[in-house]
Amino acid sequence: MKAAALAIGLAMSTALGAYTIGTADAVERGGTLNFARYDGSKLVDPIYADRNPDIWMVGSLFSTLLEPNADGTDLVGSLAESYEVSAGGKTISLVLREGAKFSDGSPVTGEDVVFSLERARNPDLGPWAGLLSAISSVAADGRNITITLENPDPALLSMLATFNTAIVSKKAFDAAPGATDQEKSAALFAKGGPGVGSGPFFLSGFEQGTSMTFSANPHYWKQGEDGKPLPYLDKVEFQIIPDDATRVLKLTAGEVDVAEFIPFSRVAELDADPAINMNLYPSTRIIYSPINTRETRADGSPNPLADKRVRQAINYATNKDALIGLVLQGAGKPMSSPVMSSSTRLAVDMSPLYGYDMDKAKALIAEAGLEPGTEITLTTLAGSADDGTIFAALQQMWAPLGITLVAEQVDGATRGAKNRSGEFDIHTYGWVDDVADPSQVTGWLGYYPTRKAVGTGWNNADFNVLYEASSSEMDPEKRADQYRQMQEIYAEAAPLLFMYETPFAVAVSGKVSGYLQTPLGNNVFENVSLGQ
Amino acid sequence: MAGLQYTLNRMVLMIPTFLLVMIIIFLLVRLLPGDPAIAIAGDKASDADIAAIRDRLGLTAPLWTQFWLFLTNTLQGDLGRSILMRAPVLDVILARLPTTIFLAVYAVSLSILIAGPLAFLAAVNRGKWQDNLIRAVFQVGLSMPVFYIGLVLLTFLAAQLRLFPVGGYGETFVDRLYHLFLPAVTVALYTSAILMRNLRAAIIEVLDAEYVQFARAKGLPSRLILGRHVLKNALISTITLLGLSIGQLMSGTLVTETVFAVPGVGRLMLEAIFARDYPLIQGLTLTFAVLVSLVFLMTDLFQSWLDPRMRLS
Repeated sequence: MKAAALAIGLAMSTALGAYTIGTADAVERGGTLNFARYDGSKLVDPIYADRNPDIWMVGSLFSTLLEPNADGTDLVGSLAESYEVSAGGKTISLVLREGAKFSDGSPVTGEDVVFSLERARNPDLGPWAGLLSAISSVAADGRNITITLENPDPALLSMLATFNTAIVSKKAFDAAPGATDQEKSAALFAKGGPGVGSGPFFLSGFEQGTSMTFSANPHYWKQGEDGKPLPYLDKVEFQIIPDDATRVLKLTAGEVDVAEFIPFSRVAELDADPAINMNLYPSTRIIYSPINTRETRADGSPNPLADKRVRQAINYATNKDALIGLVLQGAGKPMSSPVMSSSTRLAVDMSPLYGYDMDKAKALIAEAGLEPGTEITLTTLAGSADDGTIFAALQQMWAPLGITLVAEQVDGATRGAKNRSGEFDIHTYGWVDDVADPSQVTGWLGYYPTRKAVGTGWNNADFNVLYEASSSEMDPEKRADQYRQMQEIYAEAAPLLFMYETPFAVAVSGKVSGYLQTPLGNNVFENVSLGQ
Repeated sequence: MAGLQYTLNRMVLMIPTFLLVMIIIFLLVRLLPGDPAIAIAGDKASDADIAAIRDRLGLTAPLWTQFWLFLTNTLQGDLGRSILMRAPVLDVILARLPTTIFLAVYAVSLSILIAGPLAFLAAVNRGKWQDNLIRAVFQVGLSMPVFYIGLVLLTFLAAQLRLFPVGGYGETFVDRLYHLFLPAVTVALYTSAILMRNLRAAIIEVLDAEYVQFARAKGLPSRLILGRHVLKNALISTITLLGLSIGQLMSGTLVTETVFAVPGVGRLMLEAIFARDYPLIQGLTLTFAVLVSLVFLMTDLFQSWLDPRMRLS
C-alpha cells in the first residue's frame, strides 16, 4: 500500500514538475549542466551507435529530418520543415528547413541529407541499415529531398525521426582522417571536438570512459521561450560514475546537477530531499522473462514449458504487484500489452494481463499433468540484486504449483549466448524501444525469423503472417488491427513470463529546469536551464 | 659487481615469467563463458552479424594460430585494438595507466607514513595501552572490506562534511592529491594494517636481538640504535610484504576506482571483462603483470641492498 502511495506521489510530482517547466516565467541563459552517467559513450555517430549510452546522446548532437510532437502521438518537421507521402506510399517528399545550419556555420544541404541517409541504409556499415531496407533511392534538388521506396513501409516516417537517420556534415566527414567510413567516424569522435553538429549541441570534449563535453550550437534553428536560439545552456559536462551509491552521493553533495539510473531503493529518500526533484520518466522499458518453448531442452530431456498450459499457469501464479513492490519499491506497473510497453504506439491495453489467480494456475497445472517437484531453472544475472529478488519471489510463488525453481547465475554475455543457443528454461531480460514504432519490439519478441521470438523458439505461423503483412500496410486502421491480433495471439501462447514496466529514474537538482528523458531513453538537454 | 650480476639474473628470470603470464592470460580469457562476438554485437544482432564479427576478430581461427598472432604482435608492441573502445589497446591503457600508478604510489606512501611511526610506537610500548589501542584500531581496518571503508569515507567526509570531492581525478598535481586522497586512504588503511602488524613484530624481534642489546651496552644513543640497527633489520621482511601488498593493491584498484569514479585501469578492466573485450583484457592483464613484476624486482633489489647476504645466495 505504501509502495503504491509512493508511486502515485512520485507520478504526481513528476507531472507537477513538467507543469512547472512549461510555465517558467523567465528562463535563465548560460551555465554548465553537470550530468552523472552510469556508463560512458564510446562513439556517438548516428549509424554506429549501438549501445544505449551512445544512442541516447545522438539527438543532442545531430538532428533528424522529422521528430515526434510534444505528446509523442504524431510526427512534425525538424530539419525538414514539411513532408508529404505519395498516394501509393512509395515516395516521400521533404523540404529542408531554410536557414538550418551546422554548428560550424555551414548550411545543412540536400547533399548532407543524401550522404547521411545513404550511410544509414548501407548494410556494410552500421547495424541499423535493416530499418531502412524499403528505401531504393534518396535524391536532392536544392532543399527538396525525395525518398523513393521499393515497397510501402508504414514505419519509415518514424525511422526519419530516429537517431540512425540523423543528419551529419558531409564536409566534416570528407575532411576527417581515415580511409574508411568507420575510421573517419572514430577519428572525428576520438579527437574530442570541436565536432560539427546539426543538433542543439556539438562535441567539444571527450576522454574515453571519463568525461564528455557538449557545447551549445550557436546556429541551432529552434527558438527558446525568450525568442532567442536554443539551447539555453552553454555546456553539458558528463562524468562517468558507474557506481550507483557514488552517483547519488555526487548529487547530494552538489557536485553534479543530474544523476541518472537512480536505484529504485533510493527513490523515496531522494524524493524527500527538498533540494532534489526525483523524476520517474515514463519509458518503453519492459522487464520480462523469455520461456523456452521447444519440445525438448538443449540436453535432450523433455521440456515441461513446451506445454502452453504450464506457461500460462506460471504467469497466473506470478503476483506482478508483489514483484513491483519488492524490486521497484512500487515504482512500476505490470505489463498491459504482451509484446510492448503501454507507451509504445499500437499497444493494446489487456490489463490485467495474467492477473494473479492461483486457483486458475493450479487448474492449468493439473490439466497439463505436471509432475509435482518438477525442476525449472531460472537463469539470472550474477550480482544483480533485482534478479536475486525476482528469483526468491518466484520460487515461493510457484511452489504451490509443485514447481521447484532453481537459480543459475551467469553474466550478461553468457546469458546472451544461452538465449541464442536455447540452453535455458527461463531467464530474466529487458527491453527499451530504439525506434518510435512497434515493429521493432514486436519483431524482436514474436516474429520467429528475427531472433526465434527472443530465443524462446516460439514459431506461430499466424503471428508471422500478420507481422509480415503489417510491415507494408499503409492503412493505419488495418495496421492497428493486425497489431491487435498479434497481441492477442501472443498473450494466449505466453512464450514469456510477462512482468512489468519500469520508468527511468533520474534525480535532478532543484536549480535545473527543462530536463527530459524520452520514453525511448533519449536525453534531451535543449530546453534545460539553470536557476540560482 | 655481485650487485650487478644479481640484478641481471633477476631481470633474465622475468622473461619466462612474462611468457608464462601470456600463455595463462590467453587461455584464461578464452575459458570465460560467453561469446565476445555476442557481447560486441549486442543481444539484438542477427546470427549473421555475430558470425561476421567472429570472422573479423579471428575467433574462428585455430587456438594455436590465435596465440601465435597474440605473441608475435605483443612482442612488436601491438596489443591489438579494443573492441569496446574502438581504439588501439596500447593507447587506451596508456591513457588510463598514469591515474592508477598515481593512486598506487599515493596509497603506498600513505601506508608507509601511517604504518611506520605507529609500528615503532607500538613496538617500543609493547603490551602497554598505546600498543593495544593501535592494534585494535588496525584490526578494524583489516576486518572491513575495502569498498565498505570507501563508502563510509565518502558518505561522511565528502557528502556530509564536504571536506573532499566525492570522486574524480583533478587537473593539476595538487588537485590530484586532493581528489585522490579518499581513495588512497581507503586502500592505505588496509595495506597499512598489514604492514603495521608485520613491522611491529619485526621491530620487537630485532629489539630483543643480541646485537641491539650489545649496542645498548656500548652506550649508543637510542635514536642511533633504532635508526641504524633496528629499523634497517626490521625492514627486510616488511619490504617483502610491501611488495606483495602492491600486487594486491593493483587488484584492489578494480573496486576502489569504481567506487570513487577514478578513471584508471582498474575500472577499465571491469568494463573490459563485462564486454568480453579480449584484446583489452589481455593487454591490461599483461600490464598488471609487468607492473607487479617490476615491483617485485625493485623489492628484491632493495632487500639485497638492506641484506647483502641475499646477493651471495
